Amino acid sequence: MRAMRSNPKQATSTFTQCLQKWLAPLSVTVLAACSPATESEKSRVIPEPLQHGLIYCSEGNPESFNPQLGTSGTTVDATASQIYDRLLDFDDQSKTFVAALATDWQALDNGTRYRFNLRESVAFHQNFMFQPSRTFNADDVVFSFQRWLDKNHPYHYVNGGQYPFFTSSGLIRLIERVEKVGPYTVDFYLKRPDSSFLANLATDFSVILSAEYGEQLRANETMGMIDFRPIGTGPYEFVEFRKDILIRYSRHQEYWRKAPELEHLVYSITPNANKRMLKLITGECDVIPYPLVNELQALDVDGKIKVASEVNPNVAFWAFNTAKPPFDDPQVRQALSHAVNRPAIIDTIYSGNAQLAHSLLPETSWAYSEEVNRYPYDPKRARELLAEAGFPNGFMMDIWAMPVQRVYNPNAQRMAELIQADLAEIGVRANIVSYEWNTFRRRLARGEHQSVLIGWVADHADPDNFYRPILSCAAIGSGNRANYCNPALDQLLIRAISETEQVQRRPLYDQIQNIVSQQVPVLPIANSLRFQAHQADITGVELPPYGGISFRNAKRLSPAELQQADSDAKSDANSGEQPQ
Amino acid sequence: MIRYTLRRLMLLIITLWLLSILAFSLNYLFPGDPLTNMTGVRTSDPLLYEQLQQARGFDHSIVLQYTNYFSHIISGDWGQSLVTQRPVFEDMQVFFVATLELSLLAMSVAFLAGVPLGVLAAVRQRKLSDRIIMGISLSSYSIPVFWLAQLFILLFAVKLNWLPITGQINPLYNIDNRTGSILLDIWFSDTDYKLAALRDAAQHLVLPVAVLAIMPLTMLVRITRTATLEVLQQNYIRAARARGLSEPHLLWKHALPNAMQPVVLQLGLQFSILITNTIITEAIFNWPGIGSWLIKGIYERDYPVIQGTLLTLAGLILLVNVLVELYHAWRYPQVRKELYAEH
Repeated sequence: MRAMRSNPKQATSTFTQCLQKWLAPLSVTVLAACSPATESEKSRVIPEPLQHGLIYCSEGNPESFNPQLGTSGTTVDATASQIYDRLLDFDDQSKTFVAALATDWQALDNGTRYRFNLRESVAFHQNFMFQPSRTFNADDVVFSFQRWLDKNHPYHYVNGGQYPFFTSSGLIRLIERVEKVGPYTVDFYLKRPDSSFLANLATDFSVILSAEYGEQLRANETMGMIDFRPIGTGPYEFVEFRKDILIRYSRHQEYWRKAPELEHLVYSITPNANKRMLKLITGECDVIPYPLVNELQALDVDGKIKVASEVNPNVAFWAFNTAKPPFDDPQVRQALSHAVNRPAIIDTIYSGNAQLAHSLLPETSWAYSEEVNRYPYDPKRARELLAEAGFPNGFMMDIWAMPVQRVYNPNAQRMAELIQADLAEIGVRANIVSYEWNTFRRRLARGEHQSVLIGWVADHADPDNFYRPILSCAAIGSGNRANYCNPALDQLLIRAISETEQVQRRPLYDQIQNIVSQQVPVLPIANSLRFQAHQADITGVELPPYGGISFRNAKRLSPAELQQADSDAKSDANSGEQPQ
Repeated sequence: MIRYTLRRLMLLIITLWLLSILAFSLNYLFPGDPLTNMTGVRTSDPLLYEQLQQARGFDHSIVLQYTNYFSHIISGDWGQSLVTQRPVFEDMQVFFVATLELSLLAMSVAFLAGVPLGVLAAVRQRKLSDRIIMGISLSSYSIPVFWLAQLFILLFAVKLNWLPITGQINPLYNIDNRTGSILLDIWFSDTDYKLAALRDAAQHLVLPVAVLAIMPLTMLVRITRTATLEVLQQNYIRAARARGLSEPHLLWKHALPNAMQPVVLQLGLQFSILITNTIITEAIFNWPGIGSWLIKGIYERDYPVIQGTLLTLAGLILLVNVLVELYHAWRYPQVRKELYAEH
């Protein structure tokens, strides 16, 4: 009996050995699959596609691949600067328009006709259905503009027939027709002079499509493809799009400017902000938009990640309903402006990720004037002004706060609470009012409010875009939430867009800014920043203030170059610290 | 056996038919126009809409509408997505294979690791290794999948930086998405970097497969252990042992085959749980399969997609369960005996 008992014991241990042998390869494979990122990877050469490629983790799917059709920032980021070029570009450094597909242009007939001379031998992309037989010429310009201008154009109603940017900017009513003069010359006939015209042509929406591609698709009866299998002249060619997964671009070898350094550009679609941040940390993304800045800085321990910010052309403001007493009195509005501690709002509501706005125009605009009234936080002065206006004991008022988040204002409710507390100091008792967003806007349009916290995002760099939609008499009921109508200001605004030269326009905008800051129908609060985070070895990703992200000059630095760049930055910083 | 097979198949067909009635009635229960919910064609396309109205018998009784619906489903016309306007059935095939790849890999890992661990625990009953295996399996069984996924992501991807978080492969590898299964796609592709791509895809697979495998793995460990223990106490094992058969021989040839009987039956049930977890796992790891497609469809109120994915997932679970039951009955005569003895 004993012998029998001891026997199985020995044997069981042999099974276990045997079983362990069976399990061993399994655990080895799991471990092997887990470990490669560590030692073995360093010694191995990184495969070519990974070396010359960049992954941008975008926040959503584009609606189409033609920015003419929408105004969504996601679509613009995905397409405008990658696939297409415009006639001219806006250079943010010098604040001037620079040549792109047009080499030069001049205003004729008192600014009602613009002549563009076009660049020669600009190659279009190709794809499996389309081989371009010719380079870019005047036909392409006429095609691209007539598509949205002319209701009888064969492509006008393709894919919806809505061109929201051109409708809202008034371009659709401004341009009378576009005419081909020669193979490389085009004339734009305008109904009236308008100096914001060139600015509108430089936006991401005024892209140039291929007329030849359009004809071919029309012959094949697949016209809808024009916006989903795009052909343009831009630095990257469209390769494929898989909804919710990726957009793939490859380098346009015959790009008319210097071809980009990157051979592959992939948009990995990641709507979840947390996941985007984690993927940046694991290296699955090279660049991400809209990062969670504070969390990212806490997680990035070894400094592999850089955060870049850009002032976005938006402005949050507090609009007073100037049609209702006591807000019809400029002195009351000035008093309220002095009463609000705006630097505290920047710190609390925007966590410091915004600039205090002194004017409706952002500081980056060429028309920005330094000499505007600044309304520093000064409760004493506010009480004095209020007493002069006849309210020594203050009054009751409403502050309307948006129920939703916007780029320019992450939390209007909280902002209203801060303002409420500030106003209490000068004896003004404020109620905070809010409705569901659509009701809110409907009631605003009817002018039921006393004051409202709202804002504006500009479409292009022209200063006109910050004034006419917000403060002209014609905008009452739409963008003019102050219900402010000042014929003198309106006249100045019209004069400012009738001039074409910046030199002449500048003094006009100085006057406009002076009037607005003296009258304060709206109190500007903040220009918030737009953020982007990227790996330390990526350079050249451009985030222009007016428009979508551009990867034309993006490149990946080799470790040696990275070290060089780092030491350059350090020596720059050192020399900067030394006293002169 | 034939009678049993026929009975099971009949049951499968009836259940699938009931499922189709449910799916059909969903078109009327979802908000909006039933025909749009069914086909993905909106009234804004009046020409096509009217054509479909006739083709689908919408001017006739509901019974005729159903028979039309049923024949369309059978012939692979599942309507088009309301969002992308692409045919649901065509897209389904790619997403389906991606889901199948993930769930089959997870199931194999669970089976290949769970069964030996269960046997090991049974053989070493009440020893330290048994207690460790059982302890770990019990605690991991109690962790919800979505939480486990987050823990794994934080540990293996963010802290240790060993593994990537989302997707099937580094998107810079330009792999044609033909079958939906990333490993097959790489294999059939003509990329110059096949090995590197396979390695990259394997790394992407580790986390989702591990997360998915945990739950069935722990179940299989426990079931295998119990079953093995039970079989080891049977008289025929004692008799064999008394005759001096070596223990490995005894275990492999006599104990294990019989211990596998309840384990096989469990595979079907575990597969159903696995598919449920696949939906969550796919959404977390951005795996382009049916699960993440279904969740997207729910967010976007894309009814043809919701309907198609539900039909496919439910059909898959039913089919696998019936196949497992059939295999079970065919492989283990004593089961058949019990089945027929009852009737």
